Amino acid sequence: MMKAHSHLSDDQLLELCLGGDERPVAGCAACETRRADLAALLDEVSDAAACHADAAFPADRLARQQARILQRIEQDGRPGRIIAFPGHGQEAALLRDRPRARWIAAAAVAGLVIGLLAGHLQHDLLGRVSAPSVPAVRTTDAPDVPTLRAVSEDEFLDQIEMAADSPGPGTALRPLHDVTPRAWEVNEIVLNEIVYESAATIDEC
Amino acid sequence: MPRTPPRPARATPGSSPAYPAALSKESLVAGEIKALIVAGHRDVARERFAELVALQQRRAVRIAYHYLGDAHDADEAVQDAFVKVFVHITTYKEDLPFEVWFTRILVNGCLDLRKSRARRLRWSLPMTPTPEMVPNEPPAPDASPEERLVSSDRARQIAAAVEQLPERQRTVFTLCQIAEQSTNEVSQALGLSEATVRVHLFRAVRKLRRLLERET
Repeated sequence: MMKAHSHLSDDQLLELCLGGDERPVAGCAACETRRADLAALLDEVSDAAACHADAAFPADRLARQQARILQRIEQDGRPGRIIAFPGHGQEAALLRDRPRARWIAAAAVAGLVIGLLAGHLQHDLLGRVSAPSVPAVRTTDAPDVPTLRAVSEDEFLDQIEMAADSPGPGTALRPLHDVTPRAWEVNEIVLNEIVYESAATIDEC
Repeated sequence: MPRTPPRPARATPGSSPAYPAALSKESLVAGEIKALIVAGHRDVARERFAELVALQQRRAVRIAYHYLGDAHDADEAVQDAFVKVFVHITTYKEDLPFEVWFTRILVNGCLDLRKSRARRLRWSLPMTPTPEMVPNEPPAPDASPEERLVSSDRARQIAAAVEQLPERQRTVFTLCQIAEQSTNEVSQALGLSEATVRVHLFRAVRKLRRLLERET
């Protein structure tokens, strides 16, 4: 009975290579070629990796390192940190870029503070201009603001027509004048309010 | 590419060798240093320690550099490992190979450094490399054949492929293929079973092969 010929698996080849077995793979040129390829690859990787490390650590650097080790031993093993020269690595570059991050954070905080202040100011100004605070101010000796009479639309238009028909230009816009608050009166009211609030604050203190 | 002389055959995976009957030179020197320290001759011990450093330094640097991927960190890890060895030399057992004990200390130190570096980077902004970014190491003024090799594309591909390996596979591969330790020594150094070391090593080689074939 003929035994079927089977090639070595990758794992078997790997085991041969890593085990350092130099004997040829008996009777199979294909397996021998595969093993030679794998061994060459492993040698190439090992050599390149070792050379990479050796290039990063030339002889003078090793000598400096050895001197440093002996120096540390003399100082009874006191730890000595190596400070990388700025710009000699990615980490150094990362550190170099950190001020940008700080600026971003500072800008965000500044924006937040400005937003809060603006919100407060807007709230205060609207509060002062709005009506609810006016009655309190009126207790001082501010001049009376004429109260608005509730007039229907028809009545109002009638009054305008009558005024327009009547002689004398001074009376024509009288109804409009009556319903419109006067600017100097509003200014006085706001001023009085500020004085009143300041006095109240001083009293509280 | 310059070829290195053939490596001595390592312990065959699967065979479970004890440590060599004759201890290495490093082990003997370490034993002497221990004896000197115990006898109170600290200055003499320090002088002998310089010899031990010279014997293991190149290998230690290769391991740390491939484990950490950064020359400054590797420098620090190697220094720390040697200092720890000297400080704790009295706990060294002379019947064990010094290389295994030292590798264990070094790998643990590298692991701690990697953790602390990951912690540091977590708090800094991610940054994509830019063309103006300077390389990790300044080029040497007069490039040796080794340095010329490093500058080749193939060396870069290989270094990048090794960097892509999972941590455990990279450690095992580095110790077996770059530091040229047997699977038994690596299992002792890492505290793993030899079978586990072999599995990691096979996987690492298979993955490297795939990565490198894809690039070529």
